[in-house]
Amino acid sequence: MTEPLLRADKLTKHFVTPRTGQTVRAVNGVSFEMFAGQTVGMVGESGSGKSTVGRMVVRLLKPTQGSVTFRGRDIAPLRDRAVRALRSDLQMVFQDPWSALNPRMRVKRIIQEPLLLHSKLSDSERSDRVEEIARSVRLNTDLLTRFPGELSGGQLQRVCIARAIATSPGLIVLDEPTSSLDLSVRAGILDLLQELREETGAAMLFISHDLGTVRLVSDHILVLYLGHIVESGPMAKVFDEPAHPYTQTLLSAHLPADPRTQLHRHLLEGEIPSPIDMPPGCPFSTRCPLVRDECRTALPPMVDIGDGAQRAACIRIPEGSNQVPL
Amino acid sequence: MSLLQVRDLHTHFISRNLDNEIRIAKALNGVSFEVSRGEVLGLVGETGAGKSLTAYSVMDLLKPPAKVVGGTVEFDGRNLRDLEAEDMNKLRGSEIAMVVQNPRSSLDPLTRVGEQLIRVHTAHTDTSESAARARAIEKLGAVGIPAPEQRMRAWPHELSGGMAQRVLIAMALMNEPKLIIADEPTTGLDVTVQAQILDLLRELVVTHNVAAMVITHDLGIVAHYCNRMAVMFAGRIVETGDVETVFDNPSHPYTRTLIASTPERLKEGKQKVLGGGAPPNLYNLPPGCHYVERCRFADESCNKPLSLDQVGDGHFAMCTRLDAVREGWPS
Amino acid sequence: MADLALDGAPKERSTIEKVWGKVVGISRRSPTSIIGFVIILFFGFLALLAPLLMPYDPIAANPNLILSGPSAAHWFGTDGNGMDVFSRVIFGSRFAFGIAIPVVIIALSIGIPIGLYSGYKGGNIDEAIMRVVDAFRVFPSIILALAVVAAAGPSLLNVVLVIGILDAPIFVRVVRAEVLALRSSSFVESGLIVGNPTWRILFVHLLPNAIQGAMAQTAVRAAWAVRISATLAFLGIGIQPPTPEWGAMIRQGAEFMVNGQWWVGIFPGVALILMVLGFNMFGDGLQDLLDPKRRSGGK
Repeated sequence: MTEPLLRADKLTKHFVTPRTGQTVRAVNGVSFEMFAGQTVGMVGESGSGKSTVGRMVVRLLKPTQGSVTFRGRDIAPLRDRAVRALRSDLQMVFQDPWSALNPRMRVKRIIQEPLLLHSKLSDSERSDRVEEIARSVRLNTDLLTRFPGELSGGQLQRVCIARAIATSPGLIVLDEPTSSLDLSVRAGILDLLQELREETGAAMLFISHDLGTVRLVSDHILVLYLGHIVESGPMAKVFDEPAHPYTQTLLSAHLPADPRTQLHRHLLEGEIPSPIDMPPGCPFSTRCPLVRDECRTALPPMVDIGDGAQRAACIRIPEGSNQVPL
Repeated sequence: MSLLQVRDLHTHFISRNLDNEIRIAKALNGVSFEVSRGEVLGLVGETGAGKSLTAYSVMDLLKPPAKVVGGTVEFDGRNLRDLEAEDMNKLRGSEIAMVVQNPRSSLDPLTRVGEQLIRVHTAHTDTSESAARARAIEKLGAVGIPAPEQRMRAWPHELSGGMAQRVLIAMALMNEPKLIIADEPTTGLDVTVQAQILDLLRELVVTHNVAAMVITHDLGIVAHYCNRMAVMFAGRIVETGDVETVFDNPSHPYTRTLIASTPERLKEGKQKVLGGGAPPNLYNLPPGCHYVERCRFADESCNKPLSLDQVGDGHFAMCTRLDAVREGWPS
Repeated sequence: MADLALDGAPKERSTIEKVWGKVVGISRRSPTSIIGFVIILFFGFLALLAPLLMPYDPIAANPNLILSGPSAAHWFGTDGNGMDVFSRVIFGSRFAFGIAIPVVIIALSIGIPIGLYSGYKGGNIDEAIMRVVDAFRVFPSIILALAVVAAAGPSLLNVVLVIGILDAPIFVRVVRAEVLALRSSSFVESGLIVGNPTWRILFVHLLPNAIQGAMAQTAVRAAWAVRISATLAFLGIGIQPPTPEWGAMIRQGAEFMVNGQWWVGIFPGVALILMVLGFNMFGDGLQDLLDPKRRSGGK
């Protein structure tokens, strides 16, 4: 079996709130693997810790506990200087392209910045490379001399993507890259990502709360709830046969943009608990329609479903009573 | 007879720039639509298309430099544009209620939730304080808030986003409105909470026989919660009709692009993406169709003034090239 | 017909029209800033062309003409050494600029890096820096300046250095506040993700976006520098007579005021007031135009 490109092992991140001194348990022991060229979709509601996981994977945040093994090396304990050297290989695209670009820099400087920092290209080589990258993200090269404020949201996100792929990284984390874009623009960006994935072979961690989009781009799905992975598996399996009660209700609440699809819904009551007051036991136990007493005491382990590619953390799975009535 | 009839509404932003030149951004350019009791109209379109501005223009809530410069807004037999500011104030919050995108920022942070609900009612009616209180508790219960009596004493910051949105809906219901305008009511809420809020809204339309207008950019919401839809582009409604009709048979090239861009259609992989492009410059709009720069089917005829023409039963579109689009659209 | 630009189509404007349009546009928003600008421009001319404008040498004493009132020969009269007050007032504008400009440059070059670093790093470092800044603020700067200048010796260089350092905390605060607001926008994060070292984040990414507030403050701080240097001179600490500096001249004039020889002190006083007023009025307009918070909110 091939070595994974990235292995996150029991990643944990706790923050202490500055004023009240409470501990926010944002991420609690998340483990997963990513292989070269694979797109992993990470879904979860706000407060599920998905952005925090993404930031730990690229070491914008230092994990409280756990390790991130990238290309065989644990990058979690590295110091800032050593992390900087890794930047050409580990990239990230942010949610809001309007605020992710320095408004006082022209597009050309924005795209060439990673090359400036990580390569020894001459000025003219760098210019050529910037134009090449701009073309590969289908950005009109006339825009290179503009400032971000003069570009539309879709064009800005293309600039962000261009910047991320400039040094041909092995792994790109995309944190809700399309959620702030309009529908027709969004489709173009998704299409571009698909194309780049084939061209560059980069692994992508696609973080989103939009199930439709995740379904469109991912090979593998991770479902997060309150900083825990509750289910993981191949895209088609998780969407067609969700095992964890949370995944089932999450999928049932999704509204496909087609009036003719019948909705089969089980509506959850209440909302995701605060990561400050974590329920003991299963994180989903406060809202789960199938909850039992045992669920409230101990954290359920991840168990294999069928062929082992799909796994979920629910004690009802072994006995087969994990289906939420829809 | 529709409850709300908007005819040819024009709203402009009039300002002076640093060079002392007068600049006019034509944000709404002849918006016409109607909403009846018992139905939900979905208003969709991209950012800057004028969806929220339409609601604010109808409600007469614009602040300078925005100004309604033409058109009529007929509500329950009255032309709202002729009303005095005082009468319009009475109408808002009683007969027309609004639910906005950031529920927490529209609640007064220094007043308990119950107090705010009571005030909305006593400001518009002669009801006694205690009757208003009973009513507030009833409405909080009606929007699915557990233990409404205790929640009356809650401060806004103690509410989660979903709870705050419920409180806002309860507030909208305090005076039995005839029309509810919901501007992106679930943006920023989680999917599971979104479903709860939308179910509540639809139930109200059915049980209370109110009219509702939902402004959204999410076609999933339109597909499952609206009866009719209107697609806006650069300050105009370019297509309107029953939701199923429009989804089955989109006519305007912009509507077609929009629907083809949904993850569900992309998943089918029938066609490459066609959309994108910058929104037109509102300071300098093309003379005819506003979509002309992004449209593959545009020709000279698109530079003539347009009208919303009937293309089917209750289905209208604003396009002179419908035949060419129908034939040339990849299927 | 050549003139087709009737209804709304953008009409070609000549350069003069454009410049004039801008002036009218700014003066509509902030008419006082134009007046302030004109005043500063006026003093700027005085300072630049002083040798041409002064009828006499400003420090040439004429023992025969001590304390003579305003006349056709000496418009503003002469002082206790028989020096021409008019020439001295004109020359004093050079001192005013010569103090204000370096003071602001010193304050900016100390305040901006510290403000950037403090706001960006946050935590304990920021906390410590802000306490020092607060200490500067609560202590009356004039007393601090008096003490330091008295200890270091009353040279022009010392005065400029001390006032410049004392004024730096203002810029620390302004820049830090802007950085705090910028920290939440993700372009800082996106600077980190491509591997920018801290100095590049501070000076390449944050500085150009955080400097507007500081720039908007410069004119007001220049007014303060002119005022406080004159105060020091007036109190006898700092620039000494017979240097033709306005504060020193006012100090000298104050002694004669009681005897009715008002012209010695009044004319430099009026010049000082005008210049401070000019800087402040201009500064106010500058803040309206540059400071993003004042421009957008306006509440």
